[in-house]
Amino acid sequence: MNESRPQRQSYWRRILRQTFLRWGARLGLLWVAILVVMGVFAPFLASSFPLLSSQGGVMSSPVLDYLQPVDVLFLVGFLTLLPLLFWQTGLLRKLLIFLSALGVTAMLAYTFVAPPKLVIYEQFRVAETEGRYDWVLYAPVPYSPKDYQRERGDTGLEAPLSKDSRHHWFGTEQNGADVLSRMIHASRIALGIGFVATGIAMILGIIIGGLMGYFSGVVDMLGMRLVEIFEAVPTLFLLLTFVAFFERSLYIMMVIIGITSWPGYARYVRAEFLRLRKQDFVQAAEAAGLPLPSILFRHMLPNGMGPVLVAASFGVASAILAETTLSFLGLGLVDDPSWGEMLNQAVQSSSFNWWMATFPGGAIFLTVFAYNLIGESLRDAIDPYLSKSG
Amino acid sequence: MLLQVKNLHTWFRHQSRTIKAVDKVSFEIDRGETFCLVGESGSGKSITALSIMRLLPQSNLDRHDGEIRFQIDGQMPVDLTDLEETEMQQVRGSRIAMIFQEPMSSLNPVFTIGEQILEAVQLHFPELSEDEAWDRVIQSLHEVQLPDPETRVHTYPHQLSGGQRQRVMIAMAMACEPDLLIADEPTTALDVTVQREILRLMKALQERTGMAILFITHDFGVVSEIADRVGVMQQGKLVEVGETDQIIHRPGHTYTQALIAALPENLARTEKHEVIEGELPLIRLRQLEIHFPVRKGLFHRVADYVRAVDGVDLDITRGQILAVVGESGSGKTTLGRGILRLTEPTGGQVDFDGTDITNLKRSQLRQFRRNMQIIFQDPISSLNPRLSIAGIITEPMKVHGIGENQEERLEIARDLLEQVQMEEDTLWRYPHEFSGGQRQRIGIARALSLDPSFIVCDEITSALDVSVQAEILRMLLELRRQRGLTLLFITHNIGVVEYVSDQTAVMYQGQIIEQGRTEDIVNRPAHAYTKQLIAAVPRVPV
Repeated sequence: MNESRPQRQSYWRRILRQTFLRWGARLGLLWVAILVVMGVFAPFLASSFPLLSSQGGVMSSPVLDYLQPVDVLFLVGFLTLLPLLFWQTGLLRKLLIFLSALGVTAMLAYTFVAPPKLVIYEQFRVAETEGRYDWVLYAPVPYSPKDYQRERGDTGLEAPLSKDSRHHWFGTEQNGADVLSRMIHASRIALGIGFVATGIAMILGIIIGGLMGYFSGVVDMLGMRLVEIFEAVPTLFLLLTFVAFFERSLYIMMVIIGITSWPGYARYVRAEFLRLRKQDFVQAAEAAGLPLPSILFRHMLPNGMGPVLVAASFGVASAILAETTLSFLGLGLVDDPSWGEMLNQAVQSSSFNWWMATFPGGAIFLTVFAYNLIGESLRDAIDPYLSKSG
Repeated sequence: MLLQVKNLHTWFRHQSRTIKAVDKVSFEIDRGETFCLVGESGSGKSITALSIMRLLPQSNLDRHDGEIRFQIDGQMPVDLTDLEETEMQQVRGSRIAMIFQEPMSSLNPVFTIGEQILEAVQLHFPELSEDEAWDRVIQSLHEVQLPDPETRVHTYPHQLSGGQRQRVMIAMAMACEPDLLIADEPTTALDVTVQREILRLMKALQERTGMAILFITHDFGVVSEIADRVGVMQQGKLVEVGETDQIIHRPGHTYTQALIAALPENLARTEKHEVIEGELPLIRLRQLEIHFPVRKGLFHRVADYVRAVDGVDLDITRGQILAVVGESGSGKTTLGRGILRLTEPTGGQVDFDGTDITNLKRSQLRQFRRNMQIIFQDPISSLNPRLSIAGIITEPMKVHGIGENQEERLEIARDLLEQVQMEEDTLWRYPHEFSGGQRQRIGIARALSLDPSFIVCDEITSALDVSVQAEILRMLLELRRQRGLTLLFITHNIGVVEYVSDQTAVMYQGQIIEQGRTEDIVNRPAHAYTKQLIAAVPRVPV
């Protein structure tokens, strides 16, 4: 059966190809890909723990010993995503496989991965200077984001490459940690908050908007009022309030950004479903007596996803901005590095330290810009009047 | 000679191919003459008109040359292709005017119709004072017989009906007394009775002003009604030019012959299915009502009802083709969907094979669904663009347990595609890869996949070219014969009705006003409205 099946392009394949015909989207995708690689492999790219070391003929890998459950989660997520990208199957199935892989890994990782509670970053450097290793292999950036290099005295606010004895490519921040390392680890937060918050908003929006659009009538009227109420809530001030009341948690931020930004998606999905409801192929599906889930998810949803995906790529950008704003105001995460928090440090310092402002500022700018570029191209690709040939 | 087109070429570049939209076309139009360009979709009729007006999209134009000689005010003819853009603007509107198919989108919705005509008048007669120009606007609306022009002049386009809008478009075109009026399918979107009035109006205006008309259409009925001379276009080429009578009765070119032969009036008739008295009808409608509530205000209070179907009694005997004819808004489509309960009836009863299905629950209805199917008008929206043809055809079979496994269902799908004369590799392709006629065939295959006994055909050929229409109709009759299908055939095309149907029901404002054997209805209509409807249909004299 399948041998005789010629390779045909499905709709999404065509749209994606069209999207990435545009150089803007390609650059955007390149930057996002760099961020993903940095975020996933952060512990191996920037870490005070040696990747491999040999001590008296015994090989060990301190990095692996100190791997956090989150690190494992990111790695497994990435490794399941890669083959899924090239596997030809439905978008929904891919999503399900990805999410279930993440869920299982999260459960296993948080029960079984137990890194040492006490972390002394300088012990490896001290061991090396004392000559206890036969040989040792460090990460490209041999500093962890929270390694304040206490054994070296005051290392705060050094300009990039100002000391010959140790290389800090992007300089150090006021506590003496390496800026590049913090930047690399902060890309995780940017990625995580963007995708998770947008994911929550999209799922809520699709469910509520879909119900409004398909059933219309009273459901629609109540739903629209709910949408209007949520649209009136100012996200940033709600976040400020929550941060003031509760602890500063990344997860609370994700959830709040998620549940305040779904109305936009709901409106799109509702409008699409109202339109699709009257389309002949949906009527034909109904006339054939297909069950409701098939009509909703097989015949209607894929045809209504276009505008939602466009909105989502802009949504990721705005979620990142929201987190950055909070961190910049000093209300973000306490100790973990984030681009906004680094900008905040740059402002608070008495002298102007250009490396503290340029690198995180540039990263925020590029990331938001990249998502906007992708969103823009996606919108053009979906618009049949603008479709490019090729 | 008013207009002389010689060796006109308009080619477009698409991807790496060249599309010869207009390829070496030559014709001429005299003063006071109506010249019709006919052809199927994509034959280049509209592009020819736009080439004359120089309104072509410039971005992907590959080649545009030839002579378009046009005589202005009895002087020596000038070649429109040589004119500067500013000179051309003088010609457009004042010397050559154009009206389009869709009157809603060609009028600006935010201005009143008076303001829009006034703008055209003032542009071409700058010497007129405000009052004089306004008088002229009202006079032009008088000329197109818009009732009560003094008050109508202040209305907005959406407040007018389709026919009235087309009248306003004509008034706008005529306000500057052009020498040549280019009409691009001006009546295609209108009902036949309105179409007849618009055609008469154009004739009357032509007789009074002596303008020439370049009339673009695909409908040979309209051609025989209005044209003096006809040009037949095929794939950018003008294959034949001649007097109307000669083209219709003694076509010279093989393509014209094929086109004329494909008209439903000229198709070979099959024997009609006679109703046997006392036979139990497959479908029986009793006082079927479908009312849509009109809601108003904050709490969606029901203010009124739109009575789309208003008390319809109808019997459809097994094996019969019943045609439902009527103008747009008469409720014929709603009737078809109401029978299948795609639109819920608000009153009355639908019996299918002796069972009342009006109040069945969704789950109970499912077993009836496989016996009653529907084929749609729009070949573009009737197939899910995200599914392969295999998915589209086999999914209903799977739900209804037809075929042991997917292999078997694919085998059935292959058979069905063969029956609708499609290639086998169709299965693994997606809807966008097919033409309108091919999609319609796939739609038929999908409807047949459940092996139904009753199919609603909702205007299935009205979006298709005549030659494709003829093939689809022939195929449908053949399938009916093989499978003993019962069809409800909804259409507005009387020629098609005559060709396919055994019985005909005429719908008007939600009610069936006349019903009987097709032959009787078409030749000896009893009801006044039916008479009017039949008389308005432009017919090709056979």
